[in-house]
Amino acid sequence: MVEERRILYEHLDVPDINTFDVFRQYDGYKRFEKAIAEYQPEDIAKMVMDSGLKGRGGAGFSTGLKWSFVPRDIKPCYLCCNADESEPGTFSNRYVLEKNPHLLIEGILICCYAMGIETTYVYIRGEFTLGKKMLDAAIKEAYEKGYLGKDVRGTGLNIDIYTHPGAGAYICGEETGLIESLEGKRGQPRNKPPFPAVEGVFSKPTVVQNVETLCNLPFIVGNGVEWYTKMGPTYADTRNDPPTPDPNTGTKLYCISGDVNEPGVYELDLGLTCSELIEVAGGLRGEEVKAVIPGGSSAPILTHYELDTRLDFTSLTLAKSMLGSGGIIVMNETRNIVDCLLNIMKFYAHESCGQCTPCRWGTPWVRDIVQRIADGDGRQDTITRPKFGVTESGRWGDTGETEEIYEDLDLLESVANNIANVDTMTWNTICVFGIAVSWPAVSYMRKFRPEFEAAIREGKLVTLPVAEATVPPEENYAYQQRFIPKEFADL
Amino acid sequence: MSDELVQIETPFAFNEENQREFDELIGRYPIKEAAMLPTLHLAQRQEGYITPAVMKYVAEQLEVTVMKVKDVVTFYPMFFEEPVGEYVIRVCHTLPCALRDCKVVLEHLKAKLDTDIASETNLAKGTTDDGKFTLMKVECLASCDVAPVIMINDDLYKNLTPEKVDEILDNL
Ligand SMILES: Cc1cc2nc3c(=O)[nH]c(=O)nc-3n(C[C@H](O)[C@H](O)[C@H](O)COP(=O)(O)O)c2cc1C
Ligand code: SF4
Ligand code: FES
Repeated sequence: MVEERRILYEHLDVPDINTFDVFRQYDGYKRFEKAIAEYQPEDIAKMVMDSGLKGRGGAGFSTGLKWSFVPRDIKPCYLCCNADESEPGTFSNRYVLEKNPHLLIEGILICCYAMGIETTYVYIRGEFTLGKKMLDAAIKEAYEKGYLGKDVRGTGLNIDIYTHPGAGAYICGEETGLIESLEGKRGQPRNKPPFPAVEGVFSKPTVVQNVETLCNLPFIVGNGVEWYTKMGPTYADTRNDPPTPDPNTGTKLYCISGDVNEPGVYELDLGLTCSELIEVAGGLRGEEVKAVIPGGSSAPILTHYELDTRLDFTSLTLAKSMLGSGGIIVMNETRNIVDCLLNIMKFYAHESCGQCTPCRWGTPWVRDIVQRIADGDGRQDTITRPKFGVTESGRWGDTGETEEIYEDLDLLESVANNIANVDTMTWNTICVFGIAVSWPAVSYMRKFRPEFEAAIREGKLVTLPVAEATVPPEENYAYQQRFIPKEFADL
Repeated sequence: MSDELVQIETPFAFNEENQREFDELIGRYPIKEAAMLPTLHLAQRQEGYITPAVMKYVAEQLEVTVMKVKDVVTFYPMFFEEPVGEYVIRVCHTLPCALRDCKVVLEHLKAKLDTDIASETNLAKGTTDDGKFTLMKVECLASCDVAPVIMINDDLYKNLTPEKVDEILDNL
């Protein structure tokens, strides 16, 4: 069985670790002191680049690379720590804020030193009242001890951290939505480019980083890049010649919920498989795994055929899904996928910020279609139509067979694909919320099509046995959605 | 909504403590408008909900139009434009909580408080007649490991069952 490796969470349960004195006993702020004593800011940025650290907030973008886009000559530059944690199924940042806030402050200090940043805003979701209270108290202590404020520890650095409460809107987790919200406006995402690294909050260069990403920094500096890169797999990206390393290094705070016996946060090296994680979380609650959502509700679903998929950034991308925020939701054989999709679509319909027409109208439309199917009013066309596919002569065309049309399923797919097309990975919206809507909609429907068809046919929700409900990988284009360069797929 | 059209009955102003907090807040940002969310939170804590008078006051303090404040207030679910109960009960109903039977908790609360569920545009619908409770559904509260969860004002309650809900309500 895979062992937990607690690094970020190592001292989480130490009593009073939220106070400066106890945190200090466990190497607290020593990594920051090491950074300022032994390294130049550029060295730290290089270490982060070499460590292969990828952002833990959702996009999985290389942190070092993001930092390299920030123009060094435009000041002030801001750091926004993304503590908005609203992706359904994700709850690891909450524990850091509530139990070990000084670790986050130390991470922020290291980032500020590396990037020459003087002001940090921590955007905390409005519901995290306890987390905000604990972090505010820790920040106050850090000011008193001289780790924040003017001339930090006599180094001449000026660093301020402020917390900023959100007010219950999911979209403020998107980095440009967060920036708008921080400026005191509606949290409606901006068009990119310009990217926040170049023009972010108050029109200045801005680094947006998730809580977990920042908490990795003290350990990279403290223990070195070599130690860090030993954890987790590094693949070869064969799109480049010669192949370049594609690191999935470090540990991940996997949040697992749903039908497992011991839901919770487990810190493990990146790269373990889905079934291994379920085992670590006390095993499945139920008889059989029906489906697993691997990266928060926005991620395409995995079926029981795909349980050996490794949970890291690269492997999940190749499996046409994503690690996202690392929120894993497990469903057992008693669950109805139509019902689950309905729940998720209600969420997205509620959270669309309303700026782009395809998202504003399309998302409630998708929800209404799924609602209709779940209520037993799904539309089925009894007329059969020619089935298109590869013909005997090996060309695309009329196969001579006929198929029944489930009008609502076609409609569902077409509406979803008009928000964002999951096959070509193009979106008709300002932000990738559009993809977060159509990914689950299309992947649930394609991979669990028999259950959707049954609901329409029978006029009520029917929960099929796992084997019957799931479309096998070889039979369906569901598993081929999303364009991935061929060379990369051979990896 | 232009400034003249707002009918203000009793004007609003921060009390001394909140004024001090506001003065500290405003120094954190290069532009005053950026203090919008924390200021509105502060005002809502004092007044209970965001009245037209609050909006006018906040607009003056932050040197923006009332329309801009209204714009923000309507966007965020945590700002109320109508009175709410003394205790606001937020029941999470997103997928991980749904997999752990949040429906049972919700139905139990509905029956026990004898009220409907508030919608964002009709808070009165979910408020009990004595004005003590407002019941509403919210999306994932980032505590799915201890689902189902509810929040009562600022406090989170975990792993709920109808019995636990009874106990919590009795102890309020
Ligand atoms: C709809 C949407 C919601 C998001 N929500 C969050 C969130 O709650 N927390 C978070 O850290 N990142 C969230 N992100 C990702 C951020 O846009 C951004 O990529 C991240 O904060 C960057 O930090 P990282 O590189 O450290 O991961 C979200 C993205 C989208 C498109
Ligand atoms: S895609 Fe949706 S959430 Fe994103 S900006 Fe457009 S309307 Fe808003
Ligand atoms: S779904 Fe209820 S806390 Fe996440």
